[in-house]
Amino acid sequence: MTRRRNGYLWLDIAAIAAWGFLFLKYWLTEKLYLLIHPNYFWLTIAAGFVLLGLALARAILVIRYPFAGTSGPHLSLFPPGWSRWILIATAIAGLLISPRAFASQTALERGISDSLTVTRVRPQAFRATVKPENRSIVDWTRTLTVYPEPDAYTGQSVSVKGFVVHSPETGPNYLLIARFIITCCAADAYPVSLPVKLPEGQRRDAYKPDSWQQVEGQMRTETLAGKRQLVIQATALSPVDEPKNPYDY
Amino acid sequence: MDLNRLNNAFTLFLSLLVEAMPFLLLGVIFSSVLLFFVEERSLLRWLPKNPLLGALAGSCIGFLFPVCECGNVPVARRLLMQGVPSPVAIGFLLAAPTINPIVFWATWIAFRDQPEVVFLRIAFSLTIATMIGWIFSTQSNLRPFLQPNVARAMPLWAGEPSDAPSLLRPGTYWLGASERGNRVTVADLQVASAASVSVVSKPLADKLYLLLENMMQELRELGGVLVLGSAIAATIQVFTPRDVVLSLGQGPVTSILAMMLLAAIVSICSTVDSFFALSFASTFTTGSLLAFLVFGPMIDLKAIGLMLSIFKPRAVFYLFMLAGQLVFLLSLFVNLYLS
Repeated sequence: MTRRRNGYLWLDIAAIAAWGFLFLKYWLTEKLYLLIHPNYFWLTIAAGFVLLGLALARAILVIRYPFAGTSGPHLSLFPPGWSRWILIATAIAGLLISPRAFASQTALERGISDSLTVTRVRPQAFRATVKPENRSIVDWTRTLTVYPEPDAYTGQSVSVKGFVVHSPETGPNYLLIARFIITCCAADAYPVSLPVKLPEGQRRDAYKPDSWQQVEGQMRTETLAGKRQLVIQATALSPVDEPKNPYDY
Repeated sequence: MDLNRLNNAFTLFLSLLVEAMPFLLLGVIFSSVLLFFVEERSLLRWLPKNPLLGALAGSCIGFLFPVCECGNVPVARRLLMQGVPSPVAIGFLLAAPTINPIVFWATWIAFRDQPEVVFLRIAFSLTIATMIGWIFSTQSNLRPFLQPNVARAMPLWAGEPSDAPSLLRPGTYWLGASERGNRVTVADLQVASAASVSVVSKPLADKLYLLLENMMQELRELGGVLVLGSAIAATIQVFTPRDVVLSLGQGPVTSILAMMLLAAIVSICSTVDSFFALSFASTFTTGSLLAFLVFGPMIDLKAIGLMLSIFKPRAVFYLFMLAGQLVFLLSLFVNLYLS
């Protein structure tokens, strides 16, 4: 009986330690960038160390006092024992399956747009960049939110990086160049994008959805999908690697 | 395509956990440390006698015992057994999961961009908990509402250690303490504090051992619930057709009802529920997010299970109805007039 209970105790210790490992693994492999805002990395990293410390301290106690009591109040929905298996299984799944950044399918599902609508979480900061070609997609969206008249930006040069989305609403010589913004974690990620008119004679099939591109060009006003809006008249698109940190803030 | 969605759901699930687990850990550490190092009975002397003020004071005790809705039930139960007036205990039961520094901080991090959500959450929780505590004060004798073992414990408990096993009866979700040898266990601790024998006066080594033990247990049990809640949230977000969610989420009344139902079902811990709510922030009305954040910590499936260890089903039903109606009215007010 005691041996069996100690077995459960070791399982508990393993579950807590596995979560500690998982958090530290995400930190060291830079996968945390895909999951949460960098402001809160320290919370996760600290939690990883504390969990490992807890597991270690408990393990030392079990070895030193193998017959010490362990039972106590069981306050949960689950029958006893389920919790530890849920924790262990999830931690193992997390260690085996790598998280992936959201891509164009999610962007289309979440309602991609070039403005931050009222119900959306507002941007954290408005950075007024002097040179238009230094603006990122997110900077452009923020600028447009503040002053939406497209004619005001016509002729300005653009150089932005993002992933390609094929919107069903535009013709074959247009694509959307998009980024996700997160305020806290991937759960609140929402996409922003700018429409791109491809150089003469090119079709969007040449640029696969989800591929990362650097787009150079000029801004112009067009009526696209029944809406008068700002469009990038692209002069050049060049493929780039997916950045370590695919989200913007 | 579907594999892609599965992967998205998994990423979302992990992101909720990576963000929420540190807060759960913090809650567990706080509740364990305070359980062992703060003498809750010395609080009693400071409590006001007036039922309304008592309910308000009870609602604010959470600032000293930062527990989520899983931790407040044992504390409220202990308070009742120690003869704390019922408005105080009920105010505490309903408000403590929200009115405490950790939840405040977590909500602030999640809703930094909508500070009104953070402050209205606190204001509504305080108002509702105080009102319900006040309403319950009209019942001068609370015993008919309580489970027999709690009711019996109220007057007779002190100085009757032989009564201790009644805490461990089946149906109250306590694991029986068995073959524990000479060492003191967490179960001992609970019995001891219920029996007004202070744990705070135990030797430091024992306290540290119990602290570790208590933290491991809470972490295991609540961690499991958190994992399940995050899985449900991620699945709903990824697999529910967007237009269904949007049509529900934009109606001033339907959005509130949907979020209250969701709050009751997912039973997510109040230290981390703001991150969960945040994932709905772009599609649901502000009032409905508030309804989720205020109602969830008071009443949910998990908490109902726990509350039944204190109250008879009838009393839990009253609590549920009162809290539900008040939350609905206040959130509707927000939807119609404030946003």
